Amino acid sequence: MTLKWATLFAGLVLAFAGSVVSIANAQQSQGPTTVVQLTGLAGVKDNAKGILSVENRNLHFVHGKTRSDVSATSIEDVVTGSDSQKAVGRTVGMLSMAAPYGGGRFLSLFRTKIETLTIRYRDAEGGLHGAIFTMPVGKADGIKKELLASGAHTTAGESSAAASTSASPFSQEERKQ
Amino acid sequence: MKRPLTSGIRLGTVALLFAACPLFAGKSEPTKIKARAIQVEMIQSDEVPLPAEFQVALYENLIHQLEKQGFQHVYRDGDRNAMSITDLVVLHSTVRRFKEGSERARQVTTVSGATSITVHCQFSSPDGTSLLERDVNGKVWFFGGNLKATYDFAKKAARVAHENLSSLDHE
Repeated sequence: MTLKWATLFAGLVLAFAGSVVSIANAQQSQGPTTVVQLTGLAGVKDNAKGILSVENRNLHFVHGKTRSDVSATSIEDVVTGSDSQKAVGRTVGMLSMAAPYGGGRFLSLFRTKIETLTIRYRDAEGGLHGAIFTMPVGKADGIKKELLASGAHTTAGESSAAASTSASPFSQEERKQ
Repeated sequence: MKRPLTSGIRLGTVALLFAACPLFAGKSEPTKIKARAIQVEMIQSDEVPLPAEFQVALYENLIHQLEKQGFQHVYRDGDRNAMSITDLVVLHSTVRRFKEGSERARQVTTVSGATSITVHCQFSSPDGTSLLERDVNGKVWFFGGNLKATYDFAKKAARVAHENLSSLDHE
């Protein structure tokens, strides 16, 4: 009787552990993310909207027909941060400034939260580059973890796989905003 | 009678020319620092805490603006190709002051929420001899996000470089 209970208990424990591992794996490989590349990637226009992913140990960015790859091992620093942007788009936002009774200013109060991902990497000649991406909330940490697991480095000297965003000195500053 | 008058006029003309010489000399352009190439080092911010995206945006915008100003050889920090260049000028930039504003406050109030950044720019030779030092600031008063201040700084710093360095490729 006791053996039966013990087997049942062990089975439950194993099933629970398996589900935890599968959830963790699902969170780690989050797939492509729609981002805006503010500046820095070679051959890509500033403020280009595209798809960012980590594939085959490369940070892969696609904007239309333009593709850009940065080897994770060449990345010296990965930093995430938080920011916000106007909820009402650029052209409409500008036009709304002419609205009567301060309507445009009222619209400026509405902002959406975004996250930033900043990387510093070296090219084949040793030249230092920097790139900044903005993306929806909750995406930057996943990409950072994937990059660190693929061989990227960060300034805080944290271990690559178990890196957390708060370990970076920059990110702590940014989270205060 | 005519001869003393003529010689008087001549003497007066010569005197005027002499007097005018220093005026023309004052208008001549200051000597520019000869530079075949410029190498931009990563922006340092040891004293002032600066978010990573500002540091990277300052660096990248500075490189773009220097290229726009006509410098044909702009090397990045650590680029091995710059080592063999003669007449290389190295640009070290250190953030001296940084005040991050708020885009929302700028748009709602117009008068508050400005973002400003002051960077000490030092142009030096590869052996470390300082050739030129300037404080350059970047600001965003009304339109645009906080990072636009880095673009403003880069434009001003590139203008300083253009005014004081002569690219040898153009000669």
